[in-house]
Amino acid sequence: MSYFADKQPLVADIFSRYPDSPQGRRSALMPLIREVQDAEGFVNGTRLDEIAALCGTTATEVRSVMSFYSTYHTLPTGKYHLQVCSTVMCSLAGSDELWDHLVETLDVQPGEVSPDGRFSLQKVECLGSCGTAPLMQINDDGYYERVTPGKCARILDSLRADLQPLPDNPVPVTVNAEGRQTLANGEVVGASITGLGQLPPIFPGGEA
Amino acid sequence: MKVQVDGVEIELAAGTSAIDAVFEAGGDVPYFCAHKYLSPVGACRMCLVETGSPRKEKDGSFVLDDATGQPKIFWFPKPMASCTMQATEGMHIKTARSSEVVAKAQAGMMEFTLLNHPLDCPTCDKGGACELQDRAFEYGYGASRFGFDRRHADKHYPLSDFVILDQERCIHCKRCVRYFEEVPGQEVLDFIERGGHTFIDTEEGGLPTGFQGNITDICPVGALLDNVARFRGRNWEYDHTPTTCTLCSVGCSITVDARNGRLERIVARENREVNEAWICDAGRFGHAFASERRLTVPLVRVDGELQEVSWDVAIAAIRHGMARHSVADLALYLNADSTLEEGVALEALADAVGSVHVDHWPRYEVSLDAMPNGAATLSDVATADAVVVIGADLGEEAPILELRILEMLRGGILPPEYAHGTAIADLRLVERPARKPEKLAVIGKESRLWAHAGIRASSNGHNALERLSRPDTAELQAALKLLTDSEKAIIVLGADVLNGASGSFAAQLSDLATRTGAKVLAIPAGANSKGLAALNLVPREGGLPFARVAEAPAAFISRLDPGVRARGLTIVHDSHLTATARLADVVLPAVTNYEKRGTTVNLEGRLLELEQAALSAGEAADLIRTLTAVSEALGLRAPVRGLKGARELAAQKLGIKLGELPERGVVHPFRTSHVAPTEQVHIPKLWTERMQPSIQTLIPANLQPLPMLGAAPVGGDD
Repeated sequence: MSYFADKQPLVADIFSRYPDSPQGRRSALMPLIREVQDAEGFVNGTRLDEIAALCGTTATEVRSVMSFYSTYHTLPTGKYHLQVCSTVMCSLAGSDELWDHLVETLDVQPGEVSPDGRFSLQKVECLGSCGTAPLMQINDDGYYERVTPGKCARILDSLRADLQPLPDNPVPVTVNAEGRQTLANGEVVGASITGLGQLPPIFPGGEA
Repeated sequence: MKVQVDGVEIELAAGTSAIDAVFEAGGDVPYFCAHKYLSPVGACRMCLVETGSPRKEKDGSFVLDDATGQPKIFWFPKPMASCTMQATEGMHIKTARSSEVVAKAQAGMMEFTLLNHPLDCPTCDKGGACELQDRAFEYGYGASRFGFDRRHADKHYPLSDFVILDQERCIHCKRCVRYFEEVPGQEVLDFIERGGHTFIDTEEGGLPTGFQGNITDICPVGALLDNVARFRGRNWEYDHTPTTCTLCSVGCSITVDARNGRLERIVARENREVNEAWICDAGRFGHAFASERRLTVPLVRVDGELQEVSWDVAIAAIRHGMARHSVADLALYLNADSTLEEGVALEALADAVGSVHVDHWPRYEVSLDAMPNGAATLSDVATADAVVVIGADLGEEAPILELRILEMLRGGILPPEYAHGTAIADLRLVERPARKPEKLAVIGKESRLWAHAGIRASSNGHNALERLSRPDTAELQAALKLLTDSEKAIIVLGADVLNGASGSFAAQLSDLATRTGAKVLAIPAGANSKGLAALNLVPREGGLPFARVAEAPAAFISRLDPGVRARGLTIVHDSHLTATARLADVVLPAVTNYEKRGTTVNLEGRLLELEQAALSAGEAADLIRTLTAVSEALGLRAPVRGLKGARELAAQKLGIKLGELPERGVVHPFRTSHVAPTEQVHIPKLWTERMQPSIQTLIPANLQPLPMLGAAPVGGDD
């Protein structure tokens, strides 16, 4: 069953962000993958072929790009995808113990989903919040900081009841519906070819 | 343009890359990722050199060095990859020979490349012919400081039936990825999980058949291996024979590797004019027949059964069998992939015995010699500005011609040539080249080339040319317009139009070529059809074509398998016990084209030499020697008794000197001397049954599978 067949306006919108050339079409790869993953939790098999056909490339190419990013999943993920930072700072602050605890209590290995479909686990590299280690991110919703054993148990209990607690902090930079990078406060950062005009004006005076 | 390499000044053409500058100056730079016919990308970082250039003041004069008064050289702060750097006027280049920095950088890079490379050279098929091995010896430290476990990955990962990937050995040079993207235009391989665990894989469920084998040639390490030749021999054990492939009329240069008399491997050999560095999968993998179930002694039918006999007994049997016939009754048929020398010998024998039943097969019954605008070469195809393919399935008829057409679509950039050979890095070749599908029109049945063509028109073979001359659809109009508007257009003709083509076809084609200024390249039916057509090897007045071999009073059939016998004495000369051989009275063992010396003529009219590979073939003989034996049985002195005699006769008849040809061959304008009806249709088929590698036959029947450790449990801690 095709994913994009009944979403032509969305597809047209994604392609409109890139130059109308074969190379430009290929650039739409990432948002298309993101679109499928947001809806289904992972991208694989016929979805790869479908995205490849849209971009005018091959499934190999799509998988090549996907496999570079740890945030794209080729295996199904749970309703709550727990991402545990495993880089040095968090590790010093006990992320290894946190990881072991999660694996044991949830009884899932990376790449697996718990039988109730709720939980999947992934070790990720530095999330940039070393001051509040150990850190855990749930889905794209936000950072759960200083996850101590007690806090971990509380979070898991709430998740089991499908009452996800509010994150301590939102994810610092996300991509909004227009495909632009935005800060948590809504400020647009970075640039795109359609958004070049929105960049702050260069103030006159003084040589760089 | 003057460039200084290690203090030696040389003169170079503009556009030369720094790596070619070094080689042109007689120096050496190690490299893994650069390849003559692929885009330079600078992936392996082995070809590091120090470079610097003079700088100009605003008034155009050089910035001078205060101490020497010479233009001051501004060196790049770090070593640069020479394969992606263009040499410029006045540039200075220092290689490891004169720069300590470069020597250390290269040795360090070598150490890095070897960090995760397994030390399994003793069991690696590439050992002895491995670029990594050689460069490590020449440029490495000789020791590694890496004391940890190497990365482990799948060592037997089949990318297809023919190509096995050893993921541990891969050094990520990206040659195979670029090859598929740039040459056959199929993006089926790519790096997966880029980072510390990068590996090569495909998501398309295998590699496409056609040209996949070439990646085993270009892999600088033993990561991609030819599965047909895998574990069959070490490189230093093989007898390497440079020869020409005669599976189709392209005539690719190949090296045949034999060991203990068995043909184990075929690899591509470079021929800039013909196949560049590529060969098709059939040519590479389809050699099983050369060493399997060969006929090694003559067979004679005694009491209804074929029995092994000596040549003398076979000759006596022919003499006995011919007692009921006059010598002129003996029909002589040969395969169109026979050499020119063999054709000359057979023609001479036919003249001597006065046989009218002479034919070679496959062939077409039309002569297209007198085309305006001259003959097209494969280089012409690659540099053309338009190609129209009519009624051809190139995958079956001439696969490398397909690659040359694809080369035309990506700009027709032929890498320049230097004293050290083809440019190692031609900077005009780029990754993901822009292709121009609108320059290719394909008319006929659907084939692999359709995917690349901008103009496609379905058509029957028999009226395709007529319809193109008077286009009745928009596609055909576009194709005709393409031909008319282009300056260097080529019309490629295949079996669907050439089968049953007549004189009016030639006139029509000539007319079209005159109108459009296009050159014509007709794909001959057999590997050497073009050469044999210049001889009188077609049915003479009252003669029977090969299609009617069953009506011949007696027949000598060389390496053809019509599946029927002649009315009287049937002599079959073949390398295998074919269906026809099973019906024959006398079977004479033949050598395959891998074991012949001689000359073949490819579709351009290029003379290319065959050399004899060291295969054991028992008492098998080529056609010239076999015809000598047949002559003896007929009570004649054979007019041609050997290769030398055949070449002398060829010099008389065709005015060409055979033997000692340059490696790339020589294009000779061949004229079709005689045309006669074929009375059958030629259906081109590249892969035949006997070419399929039958690895199963090599495995002893009583072999038990070894107990293997079960699959590792899923998951891990990262």
